[in-house]
Amino acid sequence: MIESKNLSDTERIKQASDGLRGTLAETLLDELTGAIGEDDKSLVKFHGMYQQDDRDRREERAAKKLERLWSFMIRLRIPGGLLTPEQYIALHHIAGENSTGTIKITTRQTIQLHGLLKNRVKPTIQAFNAAGLDSISACGDVNRNVTCAAHPMQSAIHEQVHGYAARISRMLLPKTKAYYEIWLDQEKLTDKKEEEDPLYQDRYLPRKFKIGIGIPPNNEVDVLTNDLGLIAIIDNDKLEGFNVAIGGGLGATHGNPDTYPRLATVIGFVPADDDLLFRTIYEIVTIQRDYGNRSDRKLSRLKYTLDRLGVDWYKQELARRTGFGLEEPRPYFFDERKDLYGWQQNHQGLWYYTPFIENGRVLDDEKLALKTALFEIAQTGKANFRFTTNQGLILADIRKKDKSLINGILEKFGILAHTETASAIRKNSIACVALPTCPLALAESQRYLPTLIGHIEGLLAGHHLLNEEIIIRMTGCPNGCGRPYAAEIGFVGTAPGRYNLYLGGDHEGTRLNRLYKENLDEAAILRELDLLFWLYKKERITGERFGDFALRQRWYKA
Amino acid sequence: MLTTPKIDLMKELIAGSSREELIWLSGYLAGVVSQGTSTVSAATVAAPSAAVPETAATPLKITIAYGTETGNAKRLATDFAAKAKKKGIQAKLVGLEQYRLGDLSREEYLLTVISTQGDGEPPAAAKKFYDHIHQGGLKLDRLKYSVLALGDTSYPLFCKAGEDVDQQLQKVGAQRLSPLQKCDTDYEAEAGKWFELVLQRLNTAAAPAAAAAVTAKSIPPATPTRPAGKKTYTGTILANTNLNDRGSGKQTHHIEIAAEYVDYQPGDSLGIIPANPPALVEAIIALSGTDANQLIPHRSEEWPLAHLLHRKLNIVYLPERVVKKYAAIVQQEIPETKIGLLDLLKIYPVKDARQFHAVLAILEPIAPRLYSISSSPEAHPGELHLTVARDCFTVNGETKYGLCSDGLSQLEPGHTIEFYIHHNTQFRLPAPDTDIIMIGPGTGIAPFRSFLSERDSRGAQGKNWLFFGDRHFTTDFLYQTEIQDWVQTGVLTRVNTAFSRDQKEKVYVQHKMHRHASELFAWLRSGAHVYVCGAKQPMSVDVENTLLSIIRQEGNKNAAQAEAFLDELKESGRYVKDVY
Ligand code: SRM
Ligand SMILES: Cc1cc2nc3c(=O)[nH]c(=O)nc-3n(C[C@H](O)[C@H](O)[C@H](O)COP(=O)(O)OP(=O)(O)OC[C@H]3O[C@@H](n4cnc5c(N)ncnc54)[C@H](O)[C@@H]3O)c2cc1C
Ligand SMILES: Cc1cc2nc3c(=O)[nH]c(=O)nc-3n(C[C@H](O)[C@H](O)[C@H](O)COP(=O)(O)O)c2cc1C
Ligand code: SF4
Repeated sequence: MIESKNLSDTERIKQASDGLRGTLAETLLDELTGAIGEDDKSLVKFHGMYQQDDRDRREERAAKKLERLWSFMIRLRIPGGLLTPEQYIALHHIAGENSTGTIKITTRQTIQLHGLLKNRVKPTIQAFNAAGLDSISACGDVNRNVTCAAHPMQSAIHEQVHGYAARISRMLLPKTKAYYEIWLDQEKLTDKKEEEDPLYQDRYLPRKFKIGIGIPPNNEVDVLTNDLGLIAIIDNDKLEGFNVAIGGGLGATHGNPDTYPRLATVIGFVPADDDLLFRTIYEIVTIQRDYGNRSDRKLSRLKYTLDRLGVDWYKQELARRTGFGLEEPRPYFFDERKDLYGWQQNHQGLWYYTPFIENGRVLDDEKLALKTALFEIAQTGKANFRFTTNQGLILADIRKKDKSLINGILEKFGILAHTETASAIRKNSIACVALPTCPLALAESQRYLPTLIGHIEGLLAGHHLLNEEIIIRMTGCPNGCGRPYAAEIGFVGTAPGRYNLYLGGDHEGTRLNRLYKENLDEAAILRELDLLFWLYKKERITGERFGDFALRQRWYKA
Repeated sequence: MLTTPKIDLMKELIAGSSREELIWLSGYLAGVVSQGTSTVSAATVAAPSAAVPETAATPLKITIAYGTETGNAKRLATDFAAKAKKKGIQAKLVGLEQYRLGDLSREEYLLTVISTQGDGEPPAAAKKFYDHIHQGGLKLDRLKYSVLALGDTSYPLFCKAGEDVDQQLQKVGAQRLSPLQKCDTDYEAEAGKWFELVLQRLNTAAAPAAAAAVTAKSIPPATPTRPAGKKTYTGTILANTNLNDRGSGKQTHHIEIAAEYVDYQPGDSLGIIPANPPALVEAIIALSGTDANQLIPHRSEEWPLAHLLHRKLNIVYLPERVVKKYAAIVQQEIPETKIGLLDLLKIYPVKDARQFHAVLAILEPIAPRLYSISSSPEAHPGELHLTVARDCFTVNGETKYGLCSDGLSQLEPGHTIEFYIHHNTQFRLPAPDTDIIMIGPGTGIAPFRSFLSERDSRGAQGKNWLFFGDRHFTTDFLYQTEIQDWVQTGVLTRVNTAFSRDQKEKVYVQHKMHRHASELFAWLRSGAHVYVCGAKQPMSVDVENTLLSIIRQEGNKNAAQAEAFLDELKESGRYVKDVY
């Protein structure tokens, strides 16, 4: 076990936090500021929230002798991303009353609300709780929202696999009752024994931990970008078990060569036996807990632990802890990574509609009343709401007799047309939140990509490539929230208006892209792409994906 | 022909008399002359010797009562009391708020120094006394009195409160020792003379024999005093920021003014006489049938009509009393309401230029507007800061802005403004080690920003507790970052805020005071001073009632005891208000 001297400050905060309570209860009541205590900022993440401020307003507010416009972003824990219509209705109202009103679907299949003022946080959490929703461990050094392939129409046993997401999430929840005390005003624990936590103890994990479940052949969950990826192995409609992949993670830091994006390594297979499966998952987490780097948070994700100690060591240590060895990985293959827009039907005859929601932002604007439309659909009670890891949404499990009703509403609000007319690249793109709320953003992302895509559409049209499903992803910084390193074309913000351009990722998400050019502004980006598209059109082998072509052309910095 | 003292007497008499009084006097004197004897008149005009009870031996007892808002009347009264004592007179000094009204009937000699506030009203502290003498059935024929009225000629009703008291006392049978003396803001000289005259009259009244001797010494050579007027300054705007954030329903401007050598202290206010909008002036001239440059007499000066309407006369929103006079001039029925001159001229036009000139004669001066200074001479040398709420109101659907606050809110860096300082010696920081509780919602924060800056830069040791409130936390928290810094650095010991519209039920400063009742009372017990600034209605009233209920509850006192406790604080200057 690595001797963790000079622990990072976050470690001190966690251990001194009395089960993630810190001084939250007090600083929530501080009348002078919309912010919470310095240490509490780290702790509130474990409760699913981030303290943020509107970066667009800093200078102006300072001149007015007003503090920054502090607010909170809350992220829900929705394993597998499934909401009932009733829950969606609650969400709709809460967003309207307490936050900016925009419902943001994230790349991990859950939702975020922004702009909650300090005094609205408790009411928000209480309202969510009334709807059977919570934000526990949606952020923080714990297991995050467990993602799972979201397309029930694609596999007869989807329901069975999907069920694991919630069960894994539950197994890895912290035991502390702080959330219930602070936000839901429940009785303070007298006997602290009740919250003794053999898994997280008082240190929790060195860093965030992410688990995703993929169901081949569609890899829309980007299963290999997780610390722990489970790939369902299915043999003629029977779930055999899971290939276990560890060490995925995309975060990196400009100018820090020790940090890098990494796809998970498949280390074996575990049969679909609850005991074996859950023990495996649990111990993979405990090894990271015990061996993860706790002094340098930039190097504490499982991927670095794995590269430091080696895959073989990790497998042995895992076997030692579980008491059994993993089987050889089973063959599997992914052939695509996308949401299936429009109407689809599953084996049982249930219907599914996937509308196009740009960057997962559900709101009404002058062009489209998307938010109202979804609300109306939820009110019919005829469709479930399944979020996807592409920041998307599936109106799911609709009975044959209700299809026309739903379709009528989609028609009325122009959602059908909106979805059909959106270009292939637009529908396959992802942009992270970035400005104005994300404190780490170096450049715009979700506020800018839509415009850039517009220009790129122009270029593609010029080269008659408009129907190519090229996967384009953008983030405002190298942290990788929009998984740009797993895109065919990746843009990573370096400064306002400037982006690094990455090329050569594959279409299925099994190969990372590579840095091609740095610090490009819009004009340079478009100049480059215009040339590349021209060559692609001219020299591609039939059916060759843009990502594969780029690699073959060695379009990357040596 | 007359001896100096006699000349002075006459001068004083004339100076202190209204036109009617003079006419009456001249008639009276004529009568006296025709009768050929002066003795009778002496008795009636001056204090009649018949009414003198004391023998020269028993020392003379007088009461000097003052009614003050910002301390001037008190200071004068205190000086007078000291002077009187030197002369062996038993002078009792009392603030009108403490004056036991029962004593009035037993009182022999009452000297009143009283200022005028608001729109011709008595100071809050003198209200009880003022109302008492105005109620019917009072008879005070034993009383001999004289009134010194403090005022400011730039207000429409100059020294109104003093005038009322002087006339009312006479109505109820009391006799003037000496005529009413009205003083402008440079009151020292006239006030001094008034008192000399009073002393002299007291002596003649009390001990006729001694009179000559005393007065001969005591009366200074007659140097005719020409009023110097207020000291006015010109300042240059350095900055003007609206402190309210986007989306707020309010506009509160933090204005920084560069002005060297301005003599002020924390607690003082800045006075401005706003100019009328040029557009309005033009519109009025257009209806007046008079040339814009025609010279019009005004207060012993002449001004071109345009200038007069722009800078001197209140034309924006005339009080009922002026509307009434207007109606008389144009000989039309006009409902008694406040209304702007332009509207009057439109609805009830003047017949001709002559009528218009008559109207000019009844218009009142533009009243000064005061703004609490929110800077501290110590912390912001060479600067004055204001905290100005842009007064916004709707008149049948149309949004309008207050004349002065609107003008101030429009000022830009580089612009200059003329102002004077209105000193408020009642509203002062206590000794550096004394604790203070400041209650100042909205623009009421202004003087407390001054207090805190001052105490900060002087390193005063006293504890400071601030109650602030406004509508919304995110948009209306005036000086939030400065307040946070003062908390960080320990200058502010406690802060409690009340943002009324951030939740369903309204929350105001007084609610926060109640929530911290026991600490608040503990502070009072240990000698803290309490300051209230901001809206008179309803804030300052609610706050006072809350203070009383806290005193009742925490000091387990009954209503009367609580009142007494608070009065005690008032008297010892530990509970002061600057409300508007
Ligand atoms: C909302 C979301 C992007 C989106 O537009 O959907 C997001 C938003 C943020 N991410 Fe992320 N991350 C989101 C998915 C990801 C992913 C993609 C994934 O998990 O599939 C990654 C890359 C995979 C990985 O974890 O390596 C990701 C890697 C990061 C990192 C880098 C972590 C690292 O190991 O270096 C940070 C920065 C950090 O943790 O220090 C970060 C931090 C953040 C924060 C919380 C910024 C902060 O720490 O203050 C961002 C909040 C912005 C805002 O105002 O909403 N986010 N973040 C995604 C929410 C996922 C969820 O629901 O839980
Ligand atoms: C001691 C003292 C300290 C003060 N300190 C401050 C301070 O620090 N900050 C601050 O902002 N203020 C302060 N004030 C108040 C300030 O002096 C002014 O009273 C205030 O700015 C309004 O003046 P104004 O000329 O803008 O509005 P005005 O033009 O005088 O109008 C005032 C009111 O009259 C009515 N009114 C005016 N015109 C019309 C019309 N045409 N039709 C109908 N109604 C009309 C409206 O109700 C309006 O609200 C203080 C006052 C005092 C006495
Ligand atoms: C808000 C306010 C209103 C005033 N209104 C009048 C007035 O109507 N008539 C007048 O003659 N003086 C008026 N004054 C001037 C004061 O009477 C004058 O400043 C006096 O010196 C104050 O004396 P004090 O400090 O004893 O209260 C007003 C002063 C203030 C601050
Ligand atoms: S990638 Fe960077 S900019 Fe985008 S949301 Fe994540 S942390 Fe913020």
